[in-house]
Amino acid sequence: MYIHKKPSWYLPDSGVTPQAAYLGRRKFLRTLGMGAAATAFTRVPGISATAGFPDTLNPSFKLSAVKLTPYDLITTYNNFYEWGLSKDEPSKLSNQGWKTDPWTIEIGGLCANPAKFAVNDLIKAVGGIEQRNYRHRCVEAWSMVVPWDGFPLAKLVTLSSPKPEAKYVQFTSFLDPKICPAQRSNDFAWPFTEGLMLDEAMNELAFLATGIYGKPLLNQNGAPIRLVVPWKYGFKGAKSIVRIDFVATQPKTLWNQYAPDEYGFLANVNPEVDHPRWSQRSERVIGGGFFSSRQPTLKFNGYEKEVAALYAGIDLRKNF
Amino acid sequence: MMKTIAAIIGHKAFALSVIIGIGVWLLIVPAFTGGLGADPLDRLLHVSGEIAIWTLAAVLSLTPLRVLFPKSRIVNALNRHRRYIGVSSCIYALVHFSCHLLYQGDWDDLLASFSKPFIWLGASGLLILVVLAITSNNWTVRKLGGRNWKLLHRLAYLAAAILIYHQSIAGKGHWYIARWLLFALLSLELARLVKTQITKKNPRTAVTTGSRQEIKST
Ligand code: HEM
Repeated sequence: MYIHKKPSWYLPDSGVTPQAAYLGRRKFLRTLGMGAAATAFTRVPGISATAGFPDTLNPSFKLSAVKLTPYDLITTYNNFYEWGLSKDEPSKLSNQGWKTDPWTIEIGGLCANPAKFAVNDLIKAVGGIEQRNYRHRCVEAWSMVVPWDGFPLAKLVTLSSPKPEAKYVQFTSFLDPKICPAQRSNDFAWPFTEGLMLDEAMNELAFLATGIYGKPLLNQNGAPIRLVVPWKYGFKGAKSIVRIDFVATQPKTLWNQYAPDEYGFLANVNPEVDHPRWSQRSERVIGGGFFSSRQPTLKFNGYEKEVAALYAGIDLRKNF
Repeated sequence: MMKTIAAIIGHKAFALSVIIGIGVWLLIVPAFTGGLGADPLDRLLHVSGEIAIWTLAAVLSLTPLRVLFPKSRIVNALNRHRRYIGVSSCIYALVHFSCHLLYQGDWDDLLASFSKPFIWLGASGLLILVVLAITSNNWTVRKLGGRNWKLLHRLAYLAAAILIYHQSIAGKGHWYIARWLLFALLSLELARLVKTQITKKNPRTAVTTGSRQEIKST
């Protein structure tokens, strides 16, 4: 049995396969003719709408103590329920004719400057993109470290100039039952929606991502534009966004409607509040293969300094 | 033709190769070819759980199928493998449980996991499967006597109910997988009930639908 204790949340050096070594192994498998597994990773997906924007790493978000999760894993281990319930399905099913270029995103609701943008024009309007390394913690107790490309959500909020009544921001993902079979059933309240409080949206960490590892987002990661809120569980990160609205009351969100006792509106990463079915005290680090190690989960996913003030006076046990 | 197919299906070697083959194909081959994805253990946990529950469902569907189609050679051939299929469900469930042990990583997390109804329900289901598996040999059947043995093995239905619940809450949206299993099993049981009621009322159909004696002795 493999039972051990990890003293800190640092990834061991061996914990993550370096991208080059990982790719090397793929090649090895291919030469041996062990087809399926190897080719699943070499499929060439369509280029999304956000190609061709140069960016550099923002040094404030270098996250030097941890190792980045290899690109192959970030792009093949996905929760994207529009494209299947299991993690390997989105990378296959979302690349069978679903077009994410061209893509229009509409900003509306209680704001002075409602607008419709082609994604590339939106990137130009906010002044380009930058790279940030963020920890990513799924509510299912696994984690990655992802180098995102994109821009701070606050820039979009400022650009739209919300009215004083606006207290929340609602994000709506694509709805296209013709191309997306899952959306033909009403198992879930499609389209996917998520939301943030306005002051959360203004926090410097809240991010709209358009790429990973300097490449435009692949469909399975939510091309061409998605939300990233690193101190919250991953499901808050609405993918393939078509609408952003400023609203006065707390918006309905898909997972909260599905199971309000399991997926709260705030959904801040919190090792002290268990999910009804599992503990949130620790997380499995994706990338170590069979014997991936666990590491303790950090409050606000390690971003306590940056965000704790947002929740002063809020009982985070009740408002999980 | 049917006869040959039934003869093949009824063969021990056939049953064993299918039962073991499923595990080799879905768990072992992918483990050695990198086909388990970014978190191989998580994948094994899920796949072994699914194999265990579907094999359990398979064994539970055999009795109603035999009542519904008493003359079908295929159904009768399959019924010969009830013991193998039942025991294999237990073995895959044990693989699943081992994955959970590995997955938790440390004792504190492992112990903490047993405070969740989701986990201890799975564990009670597993306990039932283990008891049924170790009493599935001729010696125990003789020791217990057919009646007691049958009563004990009715626990399989309880295990199925608990474990389908376990499956349905295993992850976001899993009910949408589990509901098909539940629906299939309930329909079979319902059909069996209707059929036995009809046969009771009208003994002549009993004669035409096959030997009641055989049904009783299942
Ligand atoms: C002590 C016993 C058991 C433990 C600790 C256990 C634990 C687990 C865990 C941790 C999961 C995955 C939850 C998730 O992350 O989504 C799971 C899923 C599942 N379990 Fe168990 N389990 C046990 C017994 C069983 C038994 C006996 C069966 C069936 C015969 C079973 C069938 C399943 C199924 C079908 C799933 C869903 C797999 C999927 O489709 O993802 N479990 N179990």
